[in-house]
Amino acid sequence: MRVLPKLTLNQRLGVLALALGALAVFANVAPGHTVTVNAKELLTSVARAEDHVTPAELAAWIIEGRADYRLVDIRNEKAFAEYHIPTAENVPLATVTDGALGRTDRIVLYGDGGIHAAQAWMVLKGKGYTQVYTLLEGLDAWKDEVLFPVMPQSPTPEEKARFERAAQVAKFFGGQPRAAAAPGSEPMALPTQAAAPGVAPPTLPAGAATGPKKKREGC
Amino acid sequence: MSAPFYKLGAFGDEASLIVAFLIGIGFGFFLERAGFGSARKLVSQFYLNDLAVFKVMFTAIVTAMLGVTYLSWAGFLDLSLVYLVPTYWVAQVVGGLLLGVGFVVGGYCPGTSVAATATGKIDGLVFVLGFAAGTLGFALAFPLVKGLYTAGDIGTKTLPQVLGIPYGIIVFAVVLMAVGGFMGATWVEKKMAGRAVPAKATE
Repeated sequence: MRVLPKLTLNQRLGVLALALGALAVFANVAPGHTVTVNAKELLTSVARAEDHVTPAELAAWIIEGRADYRLVDIRNEKAFAEYHIPTAENVPLATVTDGALGRTDRIVLYGDGGIHAAQAWMVLKGKGYTQVYTLLEGLDAWKDEVLFPVMPQSPTPEEKARFERAAQVAKFFGGQPRAAAAPGSEPMALPTQAAAPGVAPPTLPAGAATGPKKKREGC
Repeated sequence: MSAPFYKLGAFGDEASLIVAFLIGIGFGFFLERAGFGSARKLVSQFYLNDLAVFKVMFTAIVTAMLGVTYLSWAGFLDLSLVYLVPTYWVAQVVGGLLLGVGFVVGGYCPGTSVAATATGKIDGLVFVLGFAAGTLGFALAFPLVKGLYTAGDIGTKTLPQVLGIPYGIIVFAVVLMAVGGFMGATWVEKKMAGRAVPAKATE
């Protein structure tokens, strides 16, 4: 300790840096892979249906050209290459916390069904991502409700109107509306990515995605 | 984990510009306090009789590195969220050489030229106009140099990843390098004192 007073300020700072550097050898700076979740908050938001968007809502967002959210496909690259919802980006499930997604981004996750997306949702919520949602029931529901909507048997006028609107949306996304379902009928071919060129975007009445509404004139 | 503040949503896009502005002012202030508002001081680096640039920059690197290491060790900073510039090694070698030539010829680097301009140095102002013109020229010529711009792309890499050495050991090695460098620089300065001094202009 007697040496220290003899050192210049620069030399003392050098010694300090060396000491801190030597101690840093033992530093564990690996980013934390554990998450803390607020169980009550998560469960409440699930119960209030604040954790997801429906396929119809998502379809309306895409048609409107909304750019205030990121649509994230969490399946593997191969599945993504085969088909993905237009405007989606691919962030495979195992890598969702690796930095591709921002914590303040509005994120809509989807997988084949609803489970993987919900698991990723849980982890991201726990990591402090504030605006994460899942696509309700995932790609399966997207196919059933948006790409290949089914005309109910003996529909009421209201159901018919709803189906016509859905058919328009389906064509926009390169899908195909189906007549009254024959259960177990052969699977429909998924549209290619350059889906339905030249199909004009359907005009959606305001709030079309939020539920059945009366059909408007000239729609 | 409470940092990085911006990534964790402590403030938004607009506020981040104000924060960046304040940090920039602080950066300029310390450049000027270190004497880097003078081209003569900066260029002395290349005559080896005043290695202040090397010492100041390396001190800043070591300080920031130790700060980041300890904040992250203490669980305050999530290092995985800190933005890393991707490595395009060919582009960066060419760019680094160009910057070095510009530094020797012009007497400034981009940051110090702005600091010099702020203190009323005409050569600093000319340098700023030069790099603004260069930036514009680059933007216009971009289709021609696009290949070079991304040449040598190896993605985002850190030394611990590339060398397969634990993070803490790299930190210690950089500190050793810095302290060794400072001692060596001081020795070189003494050796070179009074030799090859850039011509003193009347100022």
